[in-house]
Amino acid sequence: MAWRGQLTKNLRELRFLFCQSSPASSSARSFVENNYKELKTLNPKLPILIRECRGTEPQLWVRYDFGVEKGIRLEGLSEEQIFKALKEFAKL
Amino acid sequence: MGLGLLASRALRPAASRLLRYPPRHGLARAIGSTPERQSPEASAAQAQPDPAPELPPRKPVAGARVHLPNPEDAIEVFVDGYPVKIPKGMTVLQACEVAGVDIPRFCYHNRLSIAGNCRMCLVEVEKSPKPVASCAMPALPGMKIKTDTPIAKKAREGVMEFLLMNHPLDCPICDQGGECDLQDQSMAFGSDRGRFTEVKRSVVDKNLGPLVKTVMTRCIQCTRCVRFATEIAGVQDLGVLGRGSGEEIGTYVEKLMTSELSGNVIDICPVGALTSKPFAFKARNWELKGTETIDVTDAVGSNIRIDSRGPEVLRILPRLNEDINEEWISDKTRFCYDGLKRQRLNDPMIRGADGRFQAVSWHDALAMVGEVIHKVGPEEIVGVAGKLSDAESMMALKDFLNRMGSNNVMCEGNGKHPNADLRSGYIMNTGIAGLEKADVFLLVGTQPRVEAAMVNARIRKTVRATHAKVGYIGPPTDSNYDHEHLGTGPQTLTELAEGRHPFCSTLKNAKNPAIIVGAGLFEREDSDAIFSAIETIAKNGNVVRPDWNGYNVLLLHAAQAAALDLGLVPQSPDSIKSAKFVYLMGADDINLKDIPDDAFVVYQGHHGDQSVYRANVILPASAFSEKEGTYENTEGCIQQTLPAVPTVGDARDDWKIVRALSEVAGVQLPYDSVGGIRSRIWTVAPNLVSVDEREPTTFSTTTMRPNTNQKISPNDFGMAVENFYMTDAITRASKIMAQCSAMLLKK
Ligand code: SF4
Ligand code: FES
Repeated sequence: MAWRGQLTKNLRELRFLFCQSSPASSSARSFVENNYKELKTLNPKLPILIRECRGTEPQLWVRYDFGVEKGIRLEGLSEEQIFKALKEFAKL
Repeated sequence: MGLGLLASRALRPAASRLLRYPPRHGLARAIGSTPERQSPEASAAQAQPDPAPELPPRKPVAGARVHLPNPEDAIEVFVDGYPVKIPKGMTVLQACEVAGVDIPRFCYHNRLSIAGNCRMCLVEVEKSPKPVASCAMPALPGMKIKTDTPIAKKAREGVMEFLLMNHPLDCPICDQGGECDLQDQSMAFGSDRGRFTEVKRSVVDKNLGPLVKTVMTRCIQCTRCVRFATEIAGVQDLGVLGRGSGEEIGTYVEKLMTSELSGNVIDICPVGALTSKPFAFKARNWELKGTETIDVTDAVGSNIRIDSRGPEVLRILPRLNEDINEEWISDKTRFCYDGLKRQRLNDPMIRGADGRFQAVSWHDALAMVGEVIHKVGPEEIVGVAGKLSDAESMMALKDFLNRMGSNNVMCEGNGKHPNADLRSGYIMNTGIAGLEKADVFLLVGTQPRVEAAMVNARIRKTVRATHAKVGYIGPPTDSNYDHEHLGTGPQTLTELAEGRHPFCSTLKNAKNPAIIVGAGLFEREDSDAIFSAIETIAKNGNVVRPDWNGYNVLLLHAAQAAALDLGLVPQSPDSIKSAKFVYLMGADDINLKDIPDDAFVVYQGHHGDQSVYRANVILPASAFSEKEGTYENTEGCIQQTLPAVPTVGDARDDWKIVRALSEVAGVQLPYDSVGGIRSRIWTVAPNLVSVDEREPTTFSTTTMRPNTNQKISPNDFGMAVENFYMTDAITRASKIMAQCSAMLLKK
C-alpha cells in the first residue's frame, strides 16, 4: 500500500473522467468516491482532477514529466483493477 | 482556420434561417402585426366561417412559453376569437402575446413593474364601454379581447398623435433612428397626416455622466428608465418631475447616475431620449454587422452582440440569456470596446541591447524564443496564463511547457496553490439563475456589485422579490440591497463555523441557503484553511443536499474556471521567484517584481499593458473580439466567442502562436487545428467541449476534501476589485472606462 503515498514521485497529474449518471461510469464514480480523500491526503501536492461530462466514457489519465501521458478505459473495471492500473502507471 | 471556414461560419446562421423559415409574405415583419393582420381579408375569411376548433393555432409572440403551475388556475380568454389558456393573474397584454398578437406598447416592459401611462396598448374588450390599457388590466375568465377592431385602431392612432405632438421631428439626426419604437409604431399604427400646428415643448437635457447621452425633448415619459433605475439597478437617482406638459425625467438635483448597470437605460428607452454617449453620431444601426459572442471582462460570460463596421467595433449590446444575464449587461461590458483599438500590439518585437523594442518578423521572434528556452533548465521555465485567455490557448500553453519539462503553468487569479480537483469547489453550483431560489445568502469576502455586476443584479432581484436575507463578511461595501454586515474577516468566519454566531440559526432555518465565496480569497496564504472553514459552515447549515447545492464560488476572471478545469496548477508555488524563462500569455496582473532580473520574459498578448515593460520578446495576439475561443463562466457554463472584426497588424490567435513556437522549439504539439485542440481538451476536461451546457458536478467538496492543518490568519478580507471600470488590459486601455473611473468612483 505504500506506493499510494508515492504517486508524486513519477506522476505529475491524475485525471478521472466519467459521466455523472451512466452505468458504464459507475465503477469509476465509486472508486473516486471511496478513494479520493485517501489519495489526496497521501499526495497533497498531486492534482487529482475529477472531470465529469454527460456521455463520457470512464477514463483514467496520468501525466509524467515532459508531457508524456497514458490513459486507460475504466469501463467494467473493479476497484482493485483500477488500483492495479494506477500502480502500473505510478511505477514507470 | 482558413478564411473560407470563417466565412461559412459567419454565413451559416443566416443561411439556415432562410432555409428553415421561408418568408411567408412579401413584407418584412412589422412590429405588432401578425401575418393574418397584414392581409385583413384573409384573416376575416379564416375567422368568420368556422369558429374555434378548426382555426390554425397561432404561434405565441417571440416563442413566449406559458407555464401553468396548476391546471385549475388556468383561465380561458378569447383573443380575436381564438381561445387561449393562460394562468390566472396574467394581464390582457400577456394573454394577447400567448395568442400570438403583439400589442404595441411603450411603457410596458416585462421585467419592470407596470406603469400603464402611455396608453399605446389600448384594446377593445367586449362589454367594456371604453378601450382598456391591456398592460395594466388583468385577464378575466371568458374575456373577449379584440385587438384589431376599428375602435382599437382609432385609439392607437389617437395616442400616437398625442405622443408625436411634443416629440421633435429630428429622426434624421437621432441615434435611435432605425431602431426606435416610436418610429416603428408610428409607421405601423399612426395617422398618415398631422394636424399639429402649435409650438412643441422643449426640455433641458440632463447630465447623466460619461455613458448616457440625453436629449430630453424626445422623452415620451414612459418612465421605463425610472423604473429600471429603482427596481433593477437599485439606485434612486432618476425620477419624474413636474406635471402635465411640464413633466420631465431627471435627477432632481444635478447628479450623475452612479450605477454599474446604467447603460441598460439606453436599451430600454423606447425613443432616442437616452442614447449611448460614446456611440453618438458614429454610425447608423443598419450599417452595422452584428456578431453574437460573449463578454470576457468578468467571469459571468454575459451574452453580447458586437456591432462592427469594417475593422472597427462600434458598440456592444446585450443578448437575451435568461440563465446568465437576462437582457442586461454591465457598463464595463458595454463600453469597454474603445480599449480594443488603443495600445494594441501589432508586430512581434524583440528588446535590443539598448532596451528599445525592435519590430521583427514572426520567424525571428519565434526563433529567438525557441533558442532561449533550450538554454534554461526545465524547472526554471514558468508559464502564466492571463485572465482573458481562452481554453484552447491555455491547453496549448500547458502542453507546450509540459513538453519542455516544466510543470509550472498557472493562471492569474487562481492563487499559488489552487485546488482544481473537484469542479464543485470552484464554480457556482447553484448557477446564476438558480440564485433566485435561495432565501438566505452568505457572502464571504466578495463584493458581487463590483466583481460580477450581473450576479449582483440576480441577488438584488431575489432580495426584492422574496425578501431573502443577506449576510456579508468583508470590508464595508456599498451594496444596493439590504444586508447584514456580519464582520470584516476570518474571525467572523470561525465564529460561524463553530456555531457561535447568531447568523448560524438564520442559515440553519433557511430552505435554500446559498453561500457565495469570493475568488479573491484564492490569493490568500491561508486559503485552504479559509475554504475548509466555509465548508464546515456549509455542512452545519445544510447548504449542500442532494437536491440543492448552495456552495458557490464567485470567480473574478473569464479564464479562471477553464484554467482550473484544464489543471493549470503549478507544481511549486513560488516557482516564479527562481524562474529563468517566464512565458506570460496575456498575464498583466502578476507581480512583476517577483520575476528575477536575469529572467527572460516572453509576453504574448494583445495590449501594451503592464507586463510589456518587463518583456524581452513581444508576440502579438488577437483579442476576444477577433478570435474563436472557448470560455467557461463562473457557473461552469461553456460558451464561445466568435470573431467580429479582423485582428490588428500581424497578430495571431494565442493557441496558434504557441503551436508555432512548439515546432520551432522542437517539441511539436500533436494538433494544428481548432478541432484538433478541442479533441485534446476532451481528454483533459470533456465538459469544456459541450458548448452552451453546464455540466452538473457529482461530488461536493464539503464531503470529499481532506482536512487541512493550515491555520487561519487573522488578517481581514480585502477588496478583490478596487476599480470596477478597469480590471484588465482591455478596460485599462479604454478612454471611456478611464472617464468613468474619474467621474463615478469619487471616493
Ligand atoms: S427617457 Fe426614455 S425611458 Fe425614460 S421616460 Fe423618457 S422615453 Fe421613457
Ligand atoms: S404599454 Fe400599456 S399603457 Fe403603456
